Amino acid sequence: MSGLSELDQITRAASGDRAAQAALVNRNMPIIFRVAYRMLQDRAEAEDVTQETFLRAWKALPDWQPKAKFSTWACTVALTLCRDRLRNKRPVLMDELPDRVDTALRPEEALASQQALESIDAKLAALPDRQREALSLCALEGMTNIEAAAAMDVSVRALESLLARARRALRAELAGERE
Amino acid sequence: MTKDLVTIDRVLELIAAYGALPAAWPEDERAAAIEILKADPDRFAAALDEAYALDTFLETEDIPEPSLALSDAILAHAPKAQAKQQSLLGVLGKLIFPQGARWPAGAALASLMMGLVSGYAYASTGVGYDQADAVYYAAFGGDFETDWLGSE
Repeated sequence: MSGLSELDQITRAASGDRAAQAALVNRNMPIIFRVAYRMLQDRAEAEDVTQETFLRAWKALPDWQPKAKFSTWACTVALTLCRDRLRNKRPVLMDELPDRVDTALRPEEALASQQALESIDAKLAALPDRQREALSLCALEGMTNIEAAAAMDVSVRALESLLARARRALRAELAGERE
Repeated sequence: MTKDLVTIDRVLELIAAYGALPAAWPEDERAAAIEILKADPDRFAAALDEAYALDTFLETEDIPEPSLALSDAILAHAPKAQAKQQSLLGVLGKLIFPQGARWPAGAALASLMMGLVSGYAYASTGVGYDQADAVYYAAFGGDFETDWLGSE
């Protein structure tokens, strides 16, 4: 199946060829899952987004136009789904503050929390969404600048600006840790 | 972007956006940028060091694997293969009954068609009326040559 072009593979997958479908899933599912996981920081939610992305792909395949690579198209869909979920998760502004509860952590919890904050996941999660998307696609998934810009529906210059800001923010975080 | 358009500042931008490894830089600018880099390595050393440290840090990312059931769940909803060959009768049946065979509706349609054909044949030729009368009178003993109401 690896000798087939992506378009051949998609055509076969659309016609119900199980081997082509499995190859398409095996090649693209990990990328989509990782991109979704970086955005949502939750394995179950990332799996939901991955599954929903492929459900949309199965519907789109019969009319597939080879304008973009499948992975680029799929990342666009996955990012859109992630943005929807993040939008729904964001806290709404309240007129009155709720009653405060004691949020003091026990020592072992504080240590675990500190370690979590030091992890790369936490640093990525702290980036603004669009910067995280850019870094995820380009630096971590190895997409070309053109593919990543297409997946994010931005210009290459805008993508570069997001990447530079994301890297600057991460470098500042790392430098702050060392001091 | 051609080689002539890649400047020192542009190389610094590439490092800031894409990191220290030229393999990650845009393909159309890579060769020109590497030439500029080689021409004055000290000029870019600090930027490359910083970027390389971040590249190395990003490589430590540890993402959980998706569950094994995920690909099965995805493939369960994939398009199914269609039947490869259909008989001529099947193809005709599909054309006539795209919603599938529904026998009461089919029988009604067939009856309607037969009635229309018979009616048209009768109306266009006139043949059939006399034959039908002959059969009627033969069956009930009527007089062929006289009107059935008795008038001559």
